[in-house]
Amino acid sequence: MTEAASSSNFEGLLRQALAPVEPPEDLAQRLESTLTSLTELAVGELEAWELSAMRDPRNWVRPAAAVVVGSTAGVALVLLRARRRIS
Amino acid sequence: MADQHTPKSKAQLDEEFSELYRAHLRDVYSYAYYRVGNHHDAEDLTEQTFLQAYRHFERAQRESAGRPLRPWLIRIAHNLAANLYRDRSRKPASPIEDSTPLADPHTTEELVEEREELSRILNGVEELPDDRREALIMRFALGMDNREIARALGRSDGATKVLIHRAIKQLEGIVNEGASDD
Repeated sequence: MTEAASSSNFEGLLRQALAPVEPPEDLAQRLESTLTSLTELAVGELEAWELSAMRDPRNWVRPAAAVVVGSTAGVALVLLRARRRIS
Repeated sequence: MADQHTPKSKAQLDEEFSELYRAHLRDVYSYAYYRVGNHHDAEDLTEQTFLQAYRHFERAQRESAGRPLRPWLIRIAHNLAANLYRDRSRKPASPIEDSTPLADPHTTEELVEEREELSRILNGVEELPDDRREALIMRFALGMDNREIARALGRSDGATKVLIHRAIKQLEGIVNEGASDD
């Protein structure tokens, strides 16, 4: 067998050994659940925030970040769910 | 053609992220699985990868200038895996489980031989230096080309080509050595 053929054969075996691995079915559900948790965490952050603390502009960053995380994660979640229903 | 300077709506970004997720969930999971060696950590790593990707998706799209985002996703997974090992101060605790379906074995003997050969290859992959192992996972498990792998590893195309060539040669040596020892 030539070196090129041997190398090609070895690469074929390597391709078989490292075949793609299908993710477990519940992984997508876990991902959605994590996104939901993020959304709920963000809401909780806002509710727990004392209004008095908001008088100080230095405290505005955290709740603002919570709003961003909450809304973006929520929309992504809805999209993922919609996609799963369609497929 | 869309104006690249016009910010996309959030709904559009989310739609595109959703597509990215569906297109590359298996890639990220495969990479994670071969990188960490077990399903439990691979699931965690995949989850963290997509959450981090989601947070930085808009910027990544801007900076990618239309290039595929798979290398960026794999790079996130690569960095998270490196952090995982740094935190735990360990490498994969157990050998990678062989979950490979065999290609049309004709006899029981052939099946056993093929299974053993694939197992030797998987064990050999684990013995490779990190960068060589990762390059082979990207090439053979994910089917990435040199350019994609170069972007994921932060190397030049030329250096990546050499890296893959040396990784295959080294692995072939390890496997042949193991076979002659048997």
